[in-house]
Formats: sequence, C-alpha cells, structure tokens
Amino acid sequence: MNALVAVLALPLLGALAAVALPPRAGVRAALLATALTVAATIWLLLAVARRGVQGVILGGWEPPLGIGLAADGLGAAFIAMSAAVMGGVALAARQMMAPDVVGARAAFGFWPLMLLLWAALNAVFVSRDLFNLYVGLELLSLAAVALVAIGGKEAALAAAMRYMIFALAGSLLYLAGVVLAYAAHGTLDIGLLAARDAAPSDGLALALMTAGLLAKTAIFPFHVWLPPAHAGAPAPASALLSGLVPKASFLIILRLWFEAMPDRAGFAALMLLAGLGAGAVIWGSLQAMAQARLKMIVAYSTVAQLGYLLLVFPIAGGDGAAQPWAAGAWTGAMFQVLSHALAKAAMFLSAGLYLAAVGSDRLGDLRGLARTMPMTAFAFALAAVTLMGLPPSGGFTAKYLMMTAAFAAGQWYWALVMALGGLLAAAYLYRPMAVLFARESLIAPRPVTRAAQAVPLVLAGASILLGVFSAPPFEFMQIGRPDAAEEGL
Amino acid sequence: MTAALPVLILMTSLVPAIVTFFLPQESHLLRNALNLGSAVLKLALIVAMLVAVAGGAIYEAALPLAPGLVLLLRVDEIALLFVSLSATLWLLTTIYAIAYFGDKAELSRFFGFFSLCVAATTGLALSGSLISFFLFFEMLTLSTWPLVAHKQNRASLDAARSYLLFALPGSAALLWAIIWLESTTGPVLFTDPPDLGGIDPWSQRAIFALFIIGVGVKAALVPLHGWLPAAMAAPAPVSALLHAVAVVKAGAFGVIRVVYDVFGAGTVVDLGVGVPLAALASLTILWGSIRALQQDEIKKRLAFSTVSQVSYIVLGAALAGPYAMIGGLVHLVHQGLMKITLFFCAGIYDERAGIKRIDGLNGLGARMPWTSTCFSLGAMGMVGLPPLAGFVSKFYLGLGGIEAGAPWVLAVLAASTLLNAAYFLPLLYRLWFLPPAEDASGDERAPALVAPAVVTAAGSLGVGILAASAISPLGWANLIVLRGYAP
Amino acid sequence: MSALLTGSVWPFAVLVWPLLLGLAPVVPAWRVQAPWVLPLAPLPALVFALFGAPGATELPHLILGVELEAVPGGALLLGMTAAVWTAAGWHAARTLERSWRAGILVGFWCLTLAGNLGVFLAADVVTFYVAFAAVSLAAWFLVVHDRTESALAAGRVYITLAVAGETLLLAGLLIGAQAADSLQIAAVRESLGQAPLGGLAVALLVAGFGIKAGLVPLHVWLPLAHPVAPVPGSAVLSGAIVKAGLIGLLLFLPAGTDWGAVLMGLGLLGAFAAALWGLTQRNPKAVLAYSTVSQMGLMLLLVGAGVGAGQAAAFYALHHGMAKGALFLLVGVAVAASTPRERRATLVLAGAVALSVAGLPLTGGALVKAAAKDGLAPAATFAVTLSGATTTLILAWFLHRLAVERKPTPGQNWAALAAGAALLALAAMLAPWVLWSGATDLPAGYPLRASVMFDAAWPVLAGLALAALVIRRPAPELPPGDLLTVSRPRARLHAPRRPVVVLPTALGRKFVRLLIRARTPEMALRRWSAAGGLLVAGVLLLAILLVDF
Repeated sequence: MNALVAVLALPLLGALAAVALPPRAGVRAALLATALTVAATIWLLLAVARRGVQGVILGGWEPPLGIGLAADGLGAAFIAMSAAVMGGVALAARQMMAPDVVGARAAFGFWPLMLLLWAALNAVFVSRDLFNLYVGLELLSLAAVALVAIGGKEAALAAAMRYMIFALAGSLLYLAGVVLAYAAHGTLDIGLLAARDAAPSDGLALALMTAGLLAKTAIFPFHVWLPPAHAGAPAPASALLSGLVPKASFLIILRLWFEAMPDRAGFAALMLLAGLGAGAVIWGSLQAMAQARLKMIVAYSTVAQLGYLLLVFPIAGGDGAAQPWAAGAWTGAMFQVLSHALAKAAMFLSAGLYLAAVGSDRLGDLRGLARTMPMTAFAFALAAVTLMGLPPSGGFTAKYLMMTAAFAAGQWYWALVMALGGLLAAAYLYRPMAVLFARESLIAPRPVTRAAQAVPLVLAGASILLGVFSAPPFEFMQIGRPDAAEEGL
Repeated sequence: MTAALPVLILMTSLVPAIVTFFLPQESHLLRNALNLGSAVLKLALIVAMLVAVAGGAIYEAALPLAPGLVLLLRVDEIALLFVSLSATLWLLTTIYAIAYFGDKAELSRFFGFFSLCVAATTGLALSGSLISFFLFFEMLTLSTWPLVAHKQNRASLDAARSYLLFALPGSAALLWAIIWLESTTGPVLFTDPPDLGGIDPWSQRAIFALFIIGVGVKAALVPLHGWLPAAMAAPAPVSALLHAVAVVKAGAFGVIRVVYDVFGAGTVVDLGVGVPLAALASLTILWGSIRALQQDEIKKRLAFSTVSQVSYIVLGAALAGPYAMIGGLVHLVHQGLMKITLFFCAGIYDERAGIKRIDGLNGLGARMPWTSTCFSLGAMGMVGLPPLAGFVSKFYLGLGGIEAGAPWVLAVLAASTLLNAAYFLPLLYRLWFLPPAEDASGDERAPALVAPAVVTAAGSLGVGILAASAISPLGWANLIVLRGYAP
Repeated sequence: MSALLTGSVWPFAVLVWPLLLGLAPVVPAWRVQAPWVLPLAPLPALVFALFGAPGATELPHLILGVELEAVPGGALLLGMTAAVWTAAGWHAARTLERSWRAGILVGFWCLTLAGNLGVFLAADVVTFYVAFAAVSLAAWFLVVHDRTESALAAGRVYITLAVAGETLLLAGLLIGAQAADSLQIAAVRESLGQAPLGGLAVALLVAGFGIKAGLVPLHVWLPLAHPVAPVPGSAVLSGAIVKAGLIGLLLFLPAGTDWGAVLMGLGLLGAFAAALWGLTQRNPKAVLAYSTVSQMGLMLLLVGAGVGAGQAAAFYALHHGMAKGALFLLVGVAVAASTPRERRATLVLAGAVALSVAGLPLTGGALVKAAAKDGLAPAATFAVTLSGATTTLILAWFLHRLAVERKPTPGQNWAALAAGAALLALAAMLAPWVLWSGATDLPAGYPLRASVMFDAAWPVLAGLALAALVIRRPAPELPPGDLLTVSRPRARLHAPRRPVVVLPTALGRKFVRLLIRARTPEMALRRWSAAGGLLVAGVLLLAILLVDF
C-alpha cells in the first residue's frame, strides 16, 4: 500500500472502528489508528525525502478525468505537522477526554471526530484538485464544528453554531469560485489550471474562492467566530482546531495564488491580503491583551499568528515569485505554519491541564501554578517563546526568513508589522506567565500526572527544535515547489 | 577537537542547566556537585584554550540552521576575554549562591535558569556571527527573567516585568537592525566586516542607531536604563551575575562587536556616529552617578553605579581608537570584578546582618572586617584609585579620549571620579568610622559567602597591580587590539 | 617574558618594606605592639638616601610598568622625608595608645610613607600617580585618627580636596602621557610644553599639586588638618607630605611656562598672608600650620622662578621639612614635659629650631635661604629676605603659645621623645652645611660673608621686635581655615528620595482602559450583520482588484 493512501485511509478506518466498537475498545482502536497513521506519516516523509514528490492516481484515471493526489515537500510537511499534533493530542486526550472527566457522550464522540478531522486534513494537504479540496474542507468543517459542540455547554453550542455558519458561508463562496473556474476551463486540477488559457472569469473565481477561504481561515476581520469556538471546545479539541484546522484553508489559498493562478496575483490584491494579515496581527494581539481567560488569550493569539501567514503574499507572490528572496519568504511562512501548530497545541493542552487542575482558566485563579505544575508552565513558556518569535525557536526562523525577504523586497513595513507583532505577543503572553509565576496560589490544585504534563512540553520543545534544526525542514519543503529558487537569501 | 571545544564549553553550562531543572529540590548534594563541577570543568577548558589562542589558534564550530542562519561559535581573543570573565565569576557566584540560598525553596529552578543564563552568556561571547549573537542575546533575555522574578513577590515580579518591557523592544530593534543589514549584505560574520557599500549613509546611521538601541537596553544606556535599578529586587547572587557578568555585560560586549566587527571603527568614524554614541555614554556615566548619589538603599546605589560604570565600556568602544578600545575591553573585566565584589558584600550585609540601607552600615567594619575590607576595595576601585582595577581602565580611556580628539572625555572621567567618590566614600566612612547602632547584630561566619568576595576583591586589586604583565586582562586587551583592531 | 626586575633592587625595597611592615597589625598577636614598626619603616629609605648610588630600576610587569629612579632634587627630599618619618615614627611608637585604632593607623601610616617615598623615586607617570594617590589619600587616616568631631570635619575637607586633586592630576597626566606617547616623566614634561592641550594640562597639574603643596588659595585643608591630627601625624603632614606637591611641580612643570609667574605671585601672597593670619590662632599646631603655608609659599616662589632647575627649592624644602617636623614633634614633647626643667629645655630646643627656620645666620635655615636667593630677581630676593621677619614673628608667636598652653599628659618618657625631636632638629641644622657644595654652585664660605649674614640677621631682629608687640597685644582669635570656616557637618548631599520609576504608571493605566474599550468594536464585529457585510465587502474588494474590467 502506498504511504500516501495510508495516511488518508488509516484515520478513516480508525474513525469507523471507534464508532463501531464499544467505548473502551473504540478508544483503543483509535489510539492504534493514531499510532499507525503516525508510522505511515514517517514512511511518507522518508519517501518524499528520498524520491521526491509522491503521487497517486486513484482508479488509474489521469486528471482531468480521474483524481490525482500528490504529496510534495510542503504537503508532506503539513502531514507531518498534523501527525505530531494529533499524536500529542491523542496522548493527552486519554486522560483529558476520559468519560469521568467530560462525560460519556463527549468521551465517545471525541475519538472518531478527531480521526475524521485528521483524514480530512491529510486529504486537503495532498489534493491537487479544487473540488477534492472542497470535499476535504467540508469534511473538515463538519468534524471541527462537532468538536466545538462536543462539550455540550450552552456557550459552546452557540460558538459552534456561529462557527458553522461562517464555515458554510465560506464553503459556498469557495464553491461558487470553483464552479466559475470549472465552467471556464473544464478542469479543476491545479496543475492543469496553471497551464490554462486565461479566462475573463478567473478574477472573480479567485476572488470568491479567496474570500471564502479567508473566512474559514479566520483572517481579520472574518475572525470573530474563532475565539469563542476555540475557547469553548475541550482543550484537546482546541489544540486541533487552533493548531491545524485553519492551516488547511490557508494551504488552499496558497496553492491558488502560487500554483493555480499566479498570473492573476496583481500587486494591489497581494497588498490587500497582507494588509488583512497585518490587521489580524495587531487586532488579534490587542484583543488577546484585553482578555481575562487563558483560553481566550490563546485563541486570540491564533487570530494574530494567522495574520503573519498572509504577509508572504506581496513578498513572494506575483512578480516576487521569481525573485531570489521568494524562497526565503515562502519557506518562512511555512515555518510559521508548522511552529505555530506545535506551539499552539502545546499552549491549549497546557491550558487544559490548568483547567483540569483548578477548574477554571480565569487568570486570577491560575496564580502560583508554576510551582505545583512546573513542567506545564515551562511548556507554556517555551510555546510563548515560539509565538513571540524569539530565537532559537521555529517562530524565530519564520520571522527571520520573512523579515529578511521583506527587506530585500523593499517592503520593510511588513517587517515592522512582524517585529511589532512579536512585541505584542510578548505583551499578551506575559500576563499569564506572570500570574503562573506568582508566589501565592489561591486554589489548591488537583494533582496532574507528570506523563500528562510531558505532552505539551514535548510539543513546545518540538516547536523550539524546529528552529534549532531548521535546515533539514527548509530543504524538505523545497521538494516539488513550483519554480523554487534553490538558494534562499 | 578544534570544532568540539567551543561546543563543549557551551555544553558545560547548557547540560547542567537542563539536568538541574529535573532534579528534585531535596537533592542538594547532587545539584551543587553538578553545578560546581561543570563550572570548574568549564574554567579548565577555557584555560586550556587561552593558552592555545595566545599562541594564535582559532577555534570554530558552525551549525547551519537555515539559509542565511548559521549558528557560528568562534573563539577569538575578544571572545575569550569575555568568556574567561564569565566562567571565573560564574564559579564564584555558584559557590556564593549555594551558600546564600542554603536550603530555600525552588532551588532547582533557580540553578537551572542560573546555568542557562551563563550558557547564554557563554554562547554570546563565543558567537562568531551576528545572528548567533542575537540568538544567545535573546536566550539571555529569557533565562534572566525567572532569575529576576525568583523571589516571586510583588516587587520582583514588577521588576521582572519592567525588565522584559525594556528588553523585548530592544530585541525587536536589534533584530530589525540585523535584518535590515543582512538583507543587503548577507550574513554578517565577525571575522570580516560586511561591505556596507550597498547601503546609503543615512540608512547606515539608522541601522547603527537601531543596533545601539538594541544592545543599549542591556547595557543600560540612558534613557534605556530604567529596568536595571528595578531589577534589584532579585536575590543577591542574581544581582551579582546580572551586573558583573551576564546582562549588562552582554550589552556592552554587543556595543564592542557592533562598533568593531559589524561596522568597523573606520566606518563608525566616517559616519560620524562615534561621537554621539560617546556623548550618550558620557551622559549615562554622569546621570548614573548622580542618581546613585540619591539612593539610600545599598543595592540601588550599586545598581545606578553599574549604569554609570558599564558605559565606560561603551565609551571606550565609541571613541574607536586603540587606547580607548583597550580601556573599554579591560573595563569589561575590571568592572566585572569590582562590581561583583560589591554585590557579594551587599548580599552578605543583607543576609548576615539584615542590612539593606546605607544608614545600617554604620560601624560594620569592626564586626565584619573581611566583608567590609572587600567592599572598600571594590568601592575604591570604582572610584578609580590607583593601583586598583578601575584606575587602569580610566587611564586608558583618558588616553583614548585625547587620542580620538575628544579631550572632553577627560572632564567626563574627572566628574565621574568625583561623583563616584561622593557616593562611595560616605559608605566607607560609615563602615569604618561611625559608631554602630545599639541593636546592631550580624557576623560573617559564613566562609562560603565571604570567600568569593575575598577572591574577587583580591582580583580587582591584583589585575591593577599586575596590569602590565602579559597575563593580566590589560595584557590580553593589548593583544586583542594588536592582533585585530589597531587601525 | 622579560625579567621581573631589572636594575638595582634598592629603590623597590625602599617602597615595599614599609608596605610589608604595614601589614603587621593584621596579625592579631602583633596588633598591640604594632606601632613599634613605625620608626623601622623608613630605615631602608634613609640608608638609600645616605649611601644609595643613583640607578634605575624597572619592574615591567607591575601596574603599567614601574620605573624607579631618584632624580637629584628627589634624592634630597627622599632623605629628608625618611628622616622626618623616622623621627615621627619614633614619637608615634612611644605615644600612640595601644588599641585597634592604632592598628589601623599603623597600616595607613606605612601606606602613606610608601607613597611619600614613591613620589621621589618614580620615573614614570603612573608610578608617580599611584604613589601620589597613596600619600594623599592614606594620609586621611592620619588626619582623622582621633575621631573627634573637629577631626572628622577636617577630614571631610581634606578628603574632598585630595580626591579633587587626584582627579585634576590624572587628567593633566593623561594629556601629557598621550602627547608624549610615553609614560616617562621626563618625556611627559617635555611634551607638555608643546602639546596642543599642554596649557590645560599644566593648569590642571598646578591645581592638583597646588592643593597638596598648600598653594594659596588651595591651602584651606592645611590649617584645618594639622591641629586635629596626632602630633606625629602633623609632623609628617607638614614636614614631608606637603613636599609631594612640591616635587610634583618640580618634575612636571615644563621650562618656560607662563605658570611660573602665577606660582611666584601666589607663593608670595601665601608667604606673607599666611604668616600674618597665623597670629590669629591660639593652638600652637594651628600656628605652625600657617607657618607651613607661609614657608611653602616661599618654596613655590622658588619653583615658579625656576632657579637652578628647582634645586634651590628642594634644598630649601630639605631644611624646612626636618625643621618643621621637629617643631611639631616638640609640641608633643612639651605636652610630655612634667617638670619645669623639661619644659624649659623643650622651649629652648623649639626656639633654636624656630630661629633656624627664620634664617638666623649660621643656622641651616640661613644657608638654604642664602642658596635660594642666589639668582632670584632683586625684588624677589628682597621679598625672601623680608619673609624672614614674618617667619620670626609667627614662630615667636608659636613659642609664646607653646609656653602658655599647658596640657601636660603624664606617663610619657620625656627624654625619649625629646631625643627624637632633637636629633631631627640637629639634622635640620647640620644637613645644609654638609650638603652645601652638592646642592648649590656658591662657594663654601658664602654663608659666612658679612653681607649675607647681615641680610639674614636683620629680618630676624625685626621679627623679634614685632613679636614683642604682638605678644603684648595679641590679634583677635579666629577659627582655623580662613577661607573655609568649617562649622557643623552640613546636611548630606541627598536630594529628597524619589522612587525609581520604571513604568509611567499613569500611561500604563490609560493603555489598559484603551484595551478594554477595544473589546467593544470586537463585539460589534461579531454581530451577524457586521460579519455578513464584511464578508460581502471582502468578496467585492478582492473582485475589484482581481477582475480585469
């Protein structure tokens, strides 16, 4: 069996098993599926690293008739990111999502939804076809909305509802764009679209698809659904939602603007995207500063961190793609995706541990927890280092690459946004850190095992190591990149 | 071995740091043995390397991170100057800290971050490229925060916050400067200054200013110095480390690197940015002293004194001449020795006699003669009394000032001497001449606390008396300037 | 690696010996008897001055490279200094109370001594500066030894001026060393004449050394410090330590500088004004202090005139140092005198020394004055001659006060103390005779010529006549310190305490309020109408930008 198929099929099978089997066995099956998928991911990574882009043609039909899947360096890296986060979440969820903690319904629902989400993510990461991507996205949204609602509290349900409406609106816009593109070119394969003859409707199609995807990615000012949804979900679910889910829709935007229709990427439009990103960085950070609950802070931080990703468009997109700095900027953005996923997952899992320990995530109730749960506090701090973009974390590598490219491209103002964003991140992450570090604790915390505390620490550590050993991933992500400039700056 | 040695030296702090985090609070013996052992090992490695580098060897180890991001450790003379200082004082501070804390709480955390802080300083000293420098600079920023906040009371948390409030924007400025520069010149290695031809002079000046803001926060240049006096809320070993070895020194060291290895002394002069920097340093020297005069708390007074004294180093770098450079470099070591002595003693006064304020010092000389003698030596060195360490630095700075065509530096040095005398001599007067308070208590029966202070005090006397010998810091600074920096 | 020491080991030993002895009080068992090392400390210096062959010593590793060499004028002063310190050390060893404080005094006494000897041996500016700092700053402990209110107050003035002097000196020396690109004193002196900043440097040096040498108006510490210090302390302060300033000027003042005239003018002013002001004092030691200012004024005049490359000034200082040291010691001897006979003997001895200082013919003082006047301009010669009258006057006043003031402290061995002072006095009387041919170009019989004897005699007689008047109708009593009358210790230099402001807190609070208000627009964005509208607007905006019209 092909590794590429395995990373899609194994989580799906696991999801089915988790539903079909009795609860205890279901959890076991889900964990087994997780382990197998992680193994398959490693297999895939090795294959891509050794032999380049891994493709599979389903049913033997070449595009445009059949469906092609392909894992290039980027896709494989994203798959690896999901595997890392999923693996961590699965380990953490064994305790956090146990029936005696969250109730039988949530405990039962979590595992299949998680695996379904995984399958959908991997599908999006390897699909080269706009309609396939749509299907993947829908599946993803479905699982994600369900994960928000799983807690069953009223606020969570309201947040899930809002999420769903946004997601649907986004999907509809995207679908409308896909239809326009299909009508004009008769194909939805990205490779074939790139080689198409330009049609007058392309611009509108791209606008519709992009707008829809921006809403799904929760880019400012379409972000309002995200914080309540991510903060309302149980912590392991939040980790997935915040760390992984927005990256899928972002990847599609990226593929559209860089691979499918790079010719439509006018400078003004690129600047608009980056402007939205800058707005997200600043607005999200300011909102994070104003929050009183840890999970809300972390959720708003996601809004801010996603903003960085859009800054890559004017630097490396359009005419910039052929420039020597493009590879740096583009890879920088990808580093941001990866390190943010790891760090954000670590953060939400830490928040979940604190929530489990003191039953609240209001900052005032978290006082002094660094003393009783030092590992968790350390994990949170490491993740914060990544989000602030301080060396030697992956976040720093991302920022360094993007800022250097921004300067080289003469767009220093985006570098300014990134620098400012780092400071703002420090500002909003400082409050929880200081509170955790305070001497006195008000609430006697329930004990949390070291094993549970180790999971976020490993994830946060990975986000740091991504920066320390950034050369191999950098090389890896260049595999199969369209007109990749070999050398960065 | 050539590549391994710098890495090994870095690891002698990094590994104990990581291991210490996981040691339980109770395992004092293991923790102390680990920390002391690695400090001794590190010192031994550095001595071995000193000998080799004096013979002309260069050690280098590179770890490519991403394109353009190379982690380069390179042991040259100037790196060794800083790293020997930090290694020596680390060992002493470790001894002191072990005695200071006894079996207080959260020691594993403390010593973990303590070692991490030293690892960052070591890395910073050994950095061979701008980006490695930044990397360790930030590591230092972060690892210091828990140390400042260690007491976890209101004051220390506030101090820690204000530390970050100053340090992080400084880092942003530094990163901004680095990236602005490197986007044109490519990665900057300290071995060969980059070709700045592609950048117009005003942009070069702006980059320089950003660099100075970036490292100036750590060097506590006025008006970026506010965090340093506040950081006094930290325990005494931390203050000692902060003021003598780690943070402010990192900033001053950064100024040296920026002036000499990034821009080059000639460019600095051509751009006309040396004199403004020297003026800023002078302002800092004077302002720090004036503020020190107004403080009633011993540690606060010492802190403002640091603000003032560290700018001697900046001044030396800014004047961009060989004599000034020697003065700046040698003060890097001398200030470290003297200031750490003073902080050790301040800690002893606090710990053994409960004295924090200046008026508590009355008559302590008779009861705590060793500590008070050390304190006096440190203070007199700061004033610049010959033949103590501070005099040697001042002498070379003065020569450098005239040489660079800036004789006003003499006035600054003179004013600073008088101000230093004005805020230090009354302390000595109190120690030795005023009668003690009636309820006075305290003793110095804590050899592990007193011994490090005695060693550093003897050191600050010794480096002055033996300044002309080849193995003194001055000899080493001469070597640095002879080998690489003489115009 | 060069050798640790090249050349003669003697000059180095001269300096190290007192430093080693100064450590004696560190050993608790020796602490009580530590003062006995004091008369021993200057002995190698004394031997070196008497027999020492001139020769250079180098210790290249020490400080910034130490070079020692006794210049001719320096050798005279070195011997004088060693003699004064020996006699004073003897006095101190016999009179100091045996206590913890005496231990401190012993340590710093030896440090001061080493510095005092060092300034005469140093051949490079850094060594000189180090020695000068040692003699200048460590002497503070001699001033404040008694820890009385007035001693501490005088100590404050002393240390302030001393530190200020050090600072001025360092600046001046730095300019010189930089211009000369050498640390050798001779080279520095030469370059000071031509360096662009040379004028400034000389001004700084004159001020710095002037403080030490009691140059009016920088002399204010002198009449404050001498009366409060213990007797042997005053002796070395007045006899030897002030000469450190003199040697500084001799060594560093470049030839042909305009500052010579200034020195002459100020010296002359000091010579007469201080002597007259001294009449307002009652404390014999204060009177002597003013006499010192006056005598130093004469020597500064000689330095300023540049006669005989400073040899004349050094020769004059040789006599004055020992004579003034003896006079101060005799104050202590007088206190120890328990019988009228002893008191009379003390007064006679003091009178003899005073007459020598005044320059009575055939005394040592007459010789050095005669040598000094040789080569001076006529006006200056007359001034020096006339100063004999004021000197006689003030010293007569001193003798009167010494006779009147009776604060006998029994328990001292008068004879032992008197012997020390008498030996020093004898040295003061005889040394100029012995050294005459080496120190001046004048013929051996010159002091015996009638005109010279007459010039020396009449001022003394005039002075005695004036003194008779003054003793009958004394001048009003004034506190010592003339220009700077020290009252209570003033409030310390503390500004009102201000907290260290880290964060502009008001600004911080405003920012927090602003943040909280920022949540309102966020809430508005969450409304469906706003969200939907934005989404539509986003699509339209993107479409406008992406579609070709």
